[in-house]
Amino acid sequence: MLTKLMESGNKKIADLAINTNFRSFRFRSDRIFFQQSSLHERTVLGLIAKQTGKETMQMEVYDCKQKTDYINATLLWDSKTNQKITSVAGKNVIKGGMASWDFYWQLFGRNSIDNKGMLIKQYVHYDKGMDNAYWDGRRMVYGDGDGSVFTSFTSDIDVIGHELTHGVTENEANLDYENQAGALNESFSDIFGIMIKQRFNNHDVKKSNWLIGEKVLIGPKYALRSMKAPGTAYVNHPELGTDPQPATMDKYQNLPDNQSGDFGGVHINSGIPNFAFYVAAFNIGGYAWEKAGRIWYAVLTDPKLAQNANFADVKNLTIVHAEKLFGVSSPEVIAVKQGWQEAKV
Amino acid sequence: MAGGKSLGSKMKIKLKRTGGFIPITKVAETEVNISDKELASLLVMIQPDPEAPRIKDGNYYELTTGTSSSPVDLEKVPDKYKALFSKLKSDLKIIK
Repeated sequence: MLTKLMESGNKKIADLAINTNFRSFRFRSDRIFFQQSSLHERTVLGLIAKQTGKETMQMEVYDCKQKTDYINATLLWDSKTNQKITSVAGKNVIKGGMASWDFYWQLFGRNSIDNKGMLIKQYVHYDKGMDNAYWDGRRMVYGDGDGSVFTSFTSDIDVIGHELTHGVTENEANLDYENQAGALNESFSDIFGIMIKQRFNNHDVKKSNWLIGEKVLIGPKYALRSMKAPGTAYVNHPELGTDPQPATMDKYQNLPDNQSGDFGGVHINSGIPNFAFYVAAFNIGGYAWEKAGRIWYAVLTDPKLAQNANFADVKNLTIVHAEKLFGVSSPEVIAVKQGWQEAKV
Repeated sequence: MAGGKSLGSKMKIKLKRTGGFIPITKVAETEVNISDKELASLLVMIQPDPEAPRIKDGNYYELTTGTSSSPVDLEKVPDKYKALFSKLKSDLKIIK
């Protein structure tokens, strides 16, 4: 019937029939595509993002009172009662934890660290003057800093987002924490950490300074890492010397895969994929989380991302997902390729 | 681990901390009255679980006596040595 109408001598009727046929074809192929697509694919295409459900963040914050004991830490705050607190570190991690949860939920429909609503547990004032923050597989832990080189590791939202993202990675690709896979593990944490901060501050790619931990490391000229210019976060620091991160693959550091070698330089070589992301996001423009972030999240949650993935694997996957999300010859794909090219991967 | 020391003689031990959000190395040294046997027993007690998953951004510790170094888990330090390791931890200084 439609075929007959398309061949009608009446131009108006024929045009209408052609249009209807085209729409009908698009609808049928879309339906087939989405019927066959996985939950992961539907998520990256944004179909189940921007959730309107009633899931809410579950969070508890504990005070370790400068001891190294989680069991005797006191509950400072929990999301159920939302009591008022005075602890600055406590307020910082509530703000950072909420910003991180909201980031993953609003943009990717991800409900917490495990995407099943996992309770976010954060421990502040851990140990005496501990100059560190970490994710131990169950919780995020923050030290107060030594007060001379480092201040509280709760001071920057990107550090909090970084630690929470280690939990996300553990629940997805679970990248090995050594060599290139370990550097990618670190890089995903920096990438999502910086985007969580940028979104919280409403900073686009131009307004952001792309620094991680700029308050944690004391001094106006210093930060823990620079994604825009790895190796420049601190230069000639009186205690730390100069930031050892490379920005490009030709400067990759082959360090021993042991404690002293930072397990093959996971915090050092992460500068390379960090720089690739920065260039890609900057060349795409706008807010990093809107396009570049979607591409990198699609990779992080892609079952094809192997536990022992290397930089080239992630490069290839970012290109595949950019093509899927934005089209084969899209400016986004070109920007992603430029990113990896600039990082010499 | 440290050969040739008799019971009660002084021994230099060095605690090294590596890892962390940015990988910095810190060390502290002290002298202790400890026998080889006691030290060997302590090192067994505080050796890290090789099966334990790596803590992301975690700090790692290593104890050196003489020319020998062993990874250690400070959470396992027995009460008898807690003050010693607490002092070593508070004395840790960054080395470039």
